[in-house]
Amino acid sequence: MTARPARVARTTYLDPAVRSAMRAVSAAAKKGLGDPALAELVQIRASQLNHCAFCLDMHLAIAREQGVPQQQLDLLPAWEEAGDVFDERERAALALTEAVTLLTEGSVPDEVYANAAEHFDEARLAHLVAVVTGINSWNRLMVSRRIPAGSTEW
Amino acid sequence: MTTETDIGTGTTTAEYAPEPTPHLDWAKLAPDVFKAMIRLDAAAGQGLDPRLRELVKIRASQLNHCALCLDMHSKDALAAGESVERIVQLSAWEESRHFYTGKELAALELTEAVTVLTGGTSQAFGSGGGFVPDEVYERAAEHFDETELAQLIAAITVINAWNRFGVTCRRTPGHYRPGQHK
Repeated sequence: MTARPARVARTTYLDPAVRSAMRAVSAAAKKGLGDPALAELVQIRASQLNHCAFCLDMHLAIAREQGVPQQQLDLLPAWEEAGDVFDERERAALALTEAVTLLTEGSVPDEVYANAAEHFDEARLAHLVAVVTGINSWNRLMVSRRIPAGSTEW
Repeated sequence: MTTETDIGTGTTTAEYAPEPTPHLDWAKLAPDVFKAMIRLDAAAGQGLDPRLRELVKIRASQLNHCALCLDMHSKDALAAGESVERIVQLSAWEESRHFYTGKELAALELTEAVTVLTGGTSQAFGSGGGFVPDEVYERAAEHFDETELAQLIAAITVINAWNRFGVTCRRTPGHYRPGQHK
């Protein structure tokens, strides 16, 4: 086995006020969504799309603790092809998560938004968008500073 | 309703398409999230040159196609004395480098890398974004000290967040007045 490259952050510095406000955004978003397991699924999916090792490591651990089925975690990157492993509400949330995360490829399609709006009332939908936006923000803060997976200093 | 004055054409005859209906008034529906976002916005980018901050916000909003944020930040930039030329050239900055300082160019390059995280499915191909490349980060680190660089990353992150709310909830552009949210 060849040596593994050292995992060292580019920087662990983050303005304390930024960190504190980020935590407040994520906490308020998750509270308003009121579905911790779904929050983990969408946060893991966004972190997959954004290639954030730190966030994947953290949210996969939380999801397992919360009892999210291992099959859902295994099949998440291929949820569209995973049949009834995900229910219609989860599928609507995952499609919205992908659209909100892939903004550089185009606007959130009307049918994706409309489908999400069928499964979530307005207040929950607003908080779902906030959960996806929050994890997208953490992904950016972690990937750009290259915080290693499992790091306790971030 | 958008008026021609809002759009700023100066004509009275053109017939524009109807203004889209907003999807979701998320700030009212999720007031605690909105309050935290306002706090985050105030904290992120502290200490950075305001002109540079606006350029970063406009470039990220271009990449994310956020019409509301483009409306807001181009008007704020112009009101703060930014030139029309530098705003117009921003989407082609790689071809108009002589419009910007070395520090601004490094910040724009980092803005694109941090905004297009989903690009580049594999690092092996080294194409089309993803992973914030070492050379991009290092060029930024030559122009910004550690604290400033963290604030720049935070500023890029926060405009990306506003872009996501703006696009997803379809907040319509055209009505912003410079300094409205200051």
